[in-house]
Amino acid sequence: MNFPLEQPLFQFFYWLVNTPGVGAAVVGLLVGTAVTIFALTLRWIASAKSAEQESYPYPPQH
Amino acid sequence: MQQTLNLHDREELIAPLYQFDRKFWTTLAVLIVIITPGMLLYVRQLVLGLGVTDLNRPVFWGAYLVNFIFLIGISMAGTVISATLQLLKVNWRRPITRIAESLTVFGLMTAGLQIIMDMGRPDRLAFTLIYGRLQAPLLWDIASLTLYLLTAVFALYLQLIPDIALLRDTAPDTAPAWRKKLYSILSLGWTGAKEQWRRLEKAITVVSVFIIPIGISLHTVTSWLFSTTVQPGWKSTILGPYFVVGAIFSGIGLLFIATTFARQYNKHLKEYITEIFYTNLGWIFIVMSAVWFYFTLNETLVVVTEQETLEFPVMASKLFGQFAPAFWGMNILMIAATWILVAPKFVSDKPTRNPLLKTITGLGATAIAIIIFFLLWLRLPALAAPAIQTGLLIAFVLFLIFALLGITKWMKTRLITSTVIASAFVLFGMWLERWNILMPTLTHARLIPYTTYLPTVTEIAITISTFGILTLMFVVFYKFFPSISIWEVEEGRALENKSGG
Repeated sequence: MNFPLEQPLFQFFYWLVNTPGVGAAVVGLLVGTAVTIFALTLRWIASAKSAEQESYPYPPQH
Repeated sequence: MQQTLNLHDREELIAPLYQFDRKFWTTLAVLIVIITPGMLLYVRQLVLGLGVTDLNRPVFWGAYLVNFIFLIGISMAGTVISATLQLLKVNWRRPITRIAESLTVFGLMTAGLQIIMDMGRPDRLAFTLIYGRLQAPLLWDIASLTLYLLTAVFALYLQLIPDIALLRDTAPDTAPAWRKKLYSILSLGWTGAKEQWRRLEKAITVVSVFIIPIGISLHTVTSWLFSTTVQPGWKSTILGPYFVVGAIFSGIGLLFIATTFARQYNKHLKEYITEIFYTNLGWIFIVMSAVWFYFTLNETLVVVTEQETLEFPVMASKLFGQFAPAFWGMNILMIAATWILVAPKFVSDKPTRNPLLKTITGLGATAIAIIIFFLLWLRLPALAAPAIQTGLLIAFVLFLIFALLGITKWMKTRLITSTVIASAFVLFGMWLERWNILMPTLTHARLIPYTTYLPTVTEIAITISTFGILTLMFVVFYKFFPSISIWEVEEGRALENKSGG
């Protein structure tokens, strides 16, 4: 029976979970993605253009 | 745009933000007095090292880590509760969502501080990332905590935008220029246009959906710091959900205390945060209490019946060893809290002639129960005989029952006071629960001689400081932003008017 670590895929997984610094890269990626999404959402809300002059103190659909 | 807003709301909720009265400065001074000793002792710890604490091998996690788990717990509940109620369109949530969300943010910030306090060399904090490997649960915890903190700040900010615009538009002439500028920047040019509302509502809904699994993941991952080890008492498959249940339970408790504190601080809030919030969230509190007892029974019963060589000494130290006061104290507090919440629902408002339900009986029984508790605790040589100890224990339980029966009628007429008392019991009980998870295992570690741990003055003072900092953040934040989501309350009123309610 082949030992799983002979397979390149498992060798990659072993490298992924055991290499110092890769954890930081993953945390950085997560945080970076979240901050970018949040910033873009705020920009999307702030950039909303409306033809009408009317403004509402709470969501107008009610 | 905000001219259509209720002028009464503006007066009640916005005017106090610009009044720096004696009450505010006194609160600030008291909090600084509470925080200062802990901070000074932290500087001493920084200079002299962790030797000033009782932390040593194998007890490398002490009171700071207990605080960390406790604070992560209370912070998990705020936004998760708010997001769940938001998605379910529950109307009574409106006045409490902001307090709930801000508790999450402040709780996470103070929880992060505990990690720094726990490090002898905080300058090495970056090493956890630089040398962090993906297989380490500690790294997952950092990832979850950071992501949850960012999302919670974002959720709080999204909900604040319309109210910040209101503050920008209604700032009095006497308001400082920097404050007007701050509101102007933070409001992102909000005008209240239809399209802006549509986008904001969509963003709030999406964040509410995502923040629930992120919050649950954070507390589950925190439990994995323990359950992925081979230490007795920790390697349990239900530790994750047990942590989550405890987190929601204690979080609701803190939410009750924080909202009541806000109501007392600004009397006008009593119009907005009414008894309906205490009644409805109280039912969820009762359910969480039942679920918590279920998990505690599971964790205790299995270990007691299997009597495994390594696991049982940890449990024995909780049942009748050095951690028995904390373990039984936790259970008594939780039983008392559940009684306070449930029992008043079964008695009538009418006067009673039953002596067991008289308040005076309750107070007398409480006093006797406290005396018996101290007699048991002090272990006086004259009362050391097993028969006397057993008799005292039975008398304690009996008088505790009389005490709880006696105060039931009193609690029935004081919903808010009794909920706050129950919440305080739950919070203290949950802190002890975190203590009971950590300390018995660390002092009875696998393959290492057993040891003891007692927090030193440094750890106790820093713990007190931590809760002072949490309260300080709360007080200062609500001097700059309304503690109630004004637009949500207005929206609720409009809905009520539309339905003729």
